[in-house]
Amino acid sequence: MVSQVQNIANAAAAYAKAPGSQAASMDISGASKGPTFADMVKGTIHQAINTQQQSEAVSLAAINDRADITQVVTAVAEAEVTLQAVVAIRDKVIDAYREILRMPV
Amino acid sequence: MDDLLKTMQISAAGMRAQGTRLRTISENIANAASLPNSPGEDPYRRKVITFKNVLDRATGLEVVRADKIIHDKSKFSKQFDPSHPAADADGYVQTPNVNTLIEMMDMREAQRSYEANLNVIKSSKAMLNSTLDVLR
Repeated sequence: MVSQVQNIANAAAAYAKAPGSQAASMDISGASKGPTFADMVKGTIHQAINTQQQSEAVSLAAINDRADITQVVTAVAEAEVTLQAVVAIRDKVIDAYREILRMPV
Repeated sequence: MDDLLKTMQISAAGMRAQGTRLRTISENIANAASLPNSPGEDPYRRKVITFKNVLDRATGLEVVRADKIIHDKSKFSKQFDPSHPAADADGYVQTPNVNTLIEMMDMREAQRSYEANLNVIKSSKAMLNSTLDVLR
């Protein structure tokens, strides 16, 4: 769960860096600092997969009588919220990227 | 960790504790008529649950846990039934110190407390979702 939250923090940090990296890519020299856009998208997808796997693990534990219902519900709810956060951030970043692609040169 | 996600964990721990409490209450209600088999024996003794605030090391949060399930020390009541195998010389049988009405009240309290924790989870989730809606 801690890793999920770190994932959110990472995604948020990546998002915060996004305007900077876009500005850098517009630079004539083309030297961008920080993570590339592709890395960022890959990272967010990995985060989404991780949270889903964690919630699945807890659900499985519940089926095997090792976790109770409230644990499952909170784990799944957390995974859901994390996934929504990741998806929302991804959509926003992709929107920004499209905006730049549409920009008349 | 996000505070709203922490809230969910804490409330979930509260719900678990109330679940354990309801289990104890159900044991009391189910055993309200558990009488002894022989004159010297005690009937079912009512169980009481205690809660404790503990630090959950995995998440670093202070959450409520069902601490101990202890026996209610109050006196057993007596019932006149000379035909019962556990009847004493005067014909009285010791009956459990369970009062079903009290158990019902405790049950309702556990239910309300569970609902309160559930509402905290619901509202923290709604807050998280509405915050995310700003991005959309």
